[in-house]
Amino acid sequence: MNESLDKALNAMSPPPAPVKAPEPETMKRRRVSGKLLAAACLLAILGLGVTIIHLLLPSPLMFTLFMSVGQGAFGLAMVLYLFVIFSDLRRKKVL
Amino acid sequence: MHQDGLFSGESENVIRWAATAGVVVALMAVALLVSVLARKPEWRLTPVAKWILLVGFFLLPSVTMLLGNVVGFHKVKQSCADCHTMQPWINDMKNAESKSLAAKHYQNRWINEDQCYTCHTGYGLAGNFEAKIGGMKHVWHYYVAGVPQEIKIKKPFPQATCLHCHSQAASYRKIDQHVDPEFAPKILSGEMSCFECHETPHPPSLKSSGGTGPRKTK
Repeated sequence: MNESLDKALNAMSPPPAPVKAPEPETMKRRRVSGKLLAAACLLAILGLGVTIIHLLLPSPLMFTLFMSVGQGAFGLAMVLYLFVIFSDLRRKKVL
Repeated sequence: MHQDGLFSGESENVIRWAATAGVVVALMAVALLVSVLARKPEWRLTPVAKWILLVGFFLLPSVTMLLGNVVGFHKVKQSCADCHTMQPWINDMKNAESKSLAAKHYQNRWINEDQCYTCHTGYGLAGNFEAKIGGMKHVWHYYVAGVPQEIKIKKPFPQATCLHCHSQAASYRKIDQHVDPEFAPKILSGEMSCFECHETPHPPSLKSSGGTGPRKTK
């Protein structure tokens, strides 16, 4: 009876979770690069948005925001993009 | 002859065209970037995506930023009177009975346009750069830090600003003191100020109208 009870209990308990294999380094890098590119796109859209508002409604304040927030966000976006490209080229042993 | 047509070349018209082109190019860049963001993350790492991003990050936005700077630098020259801080000075400049140098220059159109900017900006690239940095500080004071009641010029008005226009003029050279061997070198070097003999550029008694930030008492 104890054996049948043990069998019944084992049948009810959830199966053990599959052991996750460690993510290959390449996959991790690709994921990070993808996120960096997405962040760069968002920053660039922010910079371009500020630029569009400045062009439509020029004023000293908008010009200051364009020079600081707009161009700053856009500059950061370009740096992220260049970083991803550079990393890619290094990974492929081009650079 | 003053022309006002679409391709007249008038500076305001050119700036309008530049602003329109900037907006159109910016919208194209945004459309490209949004199309990349909307796709699957794996696609963003493909060569096609990276070429699209090259156009969306470099080619199109470079044009937009350039046009944004052109429009901004042009518009900002005319923006001195936009802040009501400067209203007392603008009122004096436009007052036909005022004897200040700024009023005379403005009333007689001795400086045809961008009058404030022309006198308050040094010449050359460094002068423009310094004016832009100063302008950003003014925006900061106006909106955040506060504007003092008494506005004083930061450093003595550079003599070269006056002499840039006046020193070669016949009317300047007709005045004996301007060409006198004792005074001429002192005037040219700035040792002797134009305002020792001439009216002050602005009435010294004017007080600012403040900004949107806190009011400073000194």
